[in-house]
Amino acid sequence: MSITTEPTAIDPGPRQTAVGSGSRLVRRLGIGRFSGIYVWALLIVLFAVLVPETFLTASTVRSIGANSAVTSLVALALIVPVACGLFDLSVAAILGIAAVLVLDLQARGLSAGIAVLLTLVAGAVIGAFNGFLVVKVGIDSFIATLGMSSVLAAGAFAVTNGNQLVAQVPSTFVTLGQGTLLGLPRPVWYAVAVAAVLYYVTERTTAGRYMYAIGGNIEASRLVGIRVDRVRFASLVTSGVLGALAGIVLAAQLGASSADIGPAYLLPAFSAVLLGATQIKGNGRANVLGTLVAVVLLATGIFGLQLAGAPIFISGLFNGVALILAVSLALRANRQAA
Amino acid sequence: MSSPDLRGGTAGNGGATPALDVRSASKTFGSIRVLHDVDLTLAAGELRALVGENGSGKSTLVKILAGYHMPDEGTRIAVGGREVAPHHAGVSETAGLRFVHQDLALVGALSSVENLGLGRGYGNGRMRPLAWSRLRREAREAIGELGYHFDVDRPVATLGASERTALAVARAVSPHTSTARVLVLDEPTANLPGPEVEQLFGLVRRVRDAGIAVLFISHHLNEVFDLAESVSVLRGGEHVATRPVAELDETSLIELMVGHSVERHAGRRPSAAAATVLSAQRLSGGSVQRLDLDVAAGEIVGIAGITGSGREAVASLMFGAEPAAGTVTVNGSPIPPGRPDASIAAGMGLVPAERATKAVMLGHDVAENLSISRPKDFVRRGSMRRRLEYQAAAGWLEKLDVRPREPRMPLAALSGGNAQKVILARWLRLQPKVLVLDEPTQGVDVGAKEDIHQRIEEAAGQGCAVVVCSTDNEELARLCGRVIVLGRGLETAQLAAPISADDITAACLADTRERSPREHHH
Repeated sequence: MSITTEPTAIDPGPRQTAVGSGSRLVRRLGIGRFSGIYVWALLIVLFAVLVPETFLTASTVRSIGANSAVTSLVALALIVPVACGLFDLSVAAILGIAAVLVLDLQARGLSAGIAVLLTLVAGAVIGAFNGFLVVKVGIDSFIATLGMSSVLAAGAFAVTNGNQLVAQVPSTFVTLGQGTLLGLPRPVWYAVAVAAVLYYVTERTTAGRYMYAIGGNIEASRLVGIRVDRVRFASLVTSGVLGALAGIVLAAQLGASSADIGPAYLLPAFSAVLLGATQIKGNGRANVLGTLVAVVLLATGIFGLQLAGAPIFISGLFNGVALILAVSLALRANRQAA
Repeated sequence: MSSPDLRGGTAGNGGATPALDVRSASKTFGSIRVLHDVDLTLAAGELRALVGENGSGKSTLVKILAGYHMPDEGTRIAVGGREVAPHHAGVSETAGLRFVHQDLALVGALSSVENLGLGRGYGNGRMRPLAWSRLRREAREAIGELGYHFDVDRPVATLGASERTALAVARAVSPHTSTARVLVLDEPTANLPGPEVEQLFGLVRRVRDAGIAVLFISHHLNEVFDLAESVSVLRGGEHVATRPVAELDETSLIELMVGHSVERHAGRRPSAAAATVLSAQRLSGGSVQRLDLDVAAGEIVGIAGITGSGREAVASLMFGAEPAAGTVTVNGSPIPPGRPDASIAAGMGLVPAERATKAVMLGHDVAENLSISRPKDFVRRGSMRRRLEYQAAAGWLEKLDVRPREPRMPLAALSGGNAQKVILARWLRLQPKVLVLDEPTQGVDVGAKEDIHQRIEEAAGQGCAVVVCSTDNEELARLCGRVIVLGRGLETAQLAAPISADDITAACLADTRERSPREHHH
């Protein structure tokens, strides 16, 4: 599946390849790699003009933050396998099953702490199984995780019997998912914390370098002594754990969950990671800062359009267009570099 | 499709009209003339070998005949007395020129029946159903006439090597838009195990007996003597001689190919003053069989051999990139095969032949490609330091004269020679005990080549044991104190300094003569 290599096998874009006086300005402003931020600023100005009384408020910031937090966590979870040249299509399904599992375990009398821990372990086990299928059995990650996501969706229905699960209120669990800290919804801070750790790992450690090397050329990575199989396996376990964390945060935020909650998060997260890969670093790699910029950009666009009276399907449309646009941009950068 | 008519003589078989008549074939690329007024005439039913060193013009000539290259003005080609101007493959095909290339152009997942119809149809209309029973019968007849009997419904990938070759030949000689008059076999034995070569020869003779002229291209001179009736020699793009093989022996043929008399060194070993660092015992894998090799500290050992000799597999086996039988030790400690990380930990480094697919990390800049061999060198207080990476990279770019000296450039954007220097520096910076290089200067310009050679010598000077596998015999002669020559997976000769490129060429071409079981026929 050729697309599996695209997000990471992208050569540096306009920053390094642009030559000539016209593109010098482009490079100075970093329009290529900071385009997301410019577009974001443009969107803010646009909506401030279109719907000033509703858009320019603190509640807009809170809403966008709350809407983006879980999407960010899913997107951050995806960065790890995508950096290694793998796709994890099951990450949203992992979120889905984790969101029902963590409430179901509490309903069965387990404490919030134990329920969260067990749910994270479940995420790791699912990720390990993905890793086994991809690394040991040798199934293309696209196919293996696609199958896995269907299995997990069935699992989520088995847990809930198709009913909605509601958290006990008040409880510590729900408190942790709701309310604000320093003016922002608590889930935003969880996403920030995960982003900080992931930023350090991807940008500052040898493990991060190995991940990107594998994404850049798996055989060359093996020949320079990288334990390619281990890193790829670990990347899928990581996305499993982070996907489960996203599900836990979502359940706490909503105070409820149901079996069909997961799938809606897949496309926005993928759009953000692939769009983010064209941002900030300018070398085509799935990266933390670029992904966060992309999440916020997409969330702002969708929220603003909805305030301006756009129909409900605008969110799917916006995310789909962003995904296609991101991959097209990346391919163009790739061709320019070649 | 109908089966090839091999028994009956075909038109153009008799009389003086040659099956193939090439006059003053020339080809110029840019300002370089790679083929110079070559004449070649084959009678119907003649079995002719075409030999020459790499770069002698064999492939260019074949590609002109196949319609792949447009020849220079003045080139005349006639097939069965009719002049043809092969502008593309279809014209050659219609004229009766047929080709079987080394890779055979078969689709492994399809059956023999299906492969036989590729490019020529199945004798039905485009949207009409296939007449399977007729096609099967014709396929069985087609291979039967070449002396083969195998299940024509099996996927081609499951057939033996010589069966696949037979199928490719059957497809080539089957009447299509015209009757086959000339069959060109381009290194048909390169991928065949020894016993199957004999079977292939039977097949070629049957084709010849059917009145088709066969032009047989091979690097294996013993095959030339065993199979062909006459041989044409190209050298430096010119036709040097065409002789009956009966008038030649191996030495005189090699002399025709290299252009002067050859002196054969054999079996001399250098005095082993330094300690052995790298040692391989009965190393087998890929096409290599039971290779023994010791390399001392500071020694540069070359591995030579024609394509298919096993040379191309040696580097990855020595380095332990692939699972293999036998043992490799570095300073006495065994290296587990298939574990590059363990090889590197033991002090080895590998510069692979295919740079783009096996060495360059896409989307990584020069500095990152350099540091990837041991990124922990740039970690300070728990964090990788970009600044240190760029500093170190700048130093190496300076040292190896890489241009541009820009550690932030994507490596993929550098020219071949400059990129190769960076890949070499990736290992040099670790000061390896053993360096294994596969085609270290392939696709590299002359200046960069010399730089790379100097760095290799410098590494050896510092005690590194170096193995260089190369098809560039000049390179081996320039670098190596000792050259191991491989043929059909086995060591066939060992040359010691002083070595000339021609010595190596001669030893490579002479490869299997002594070992061939077919030798007894003569």
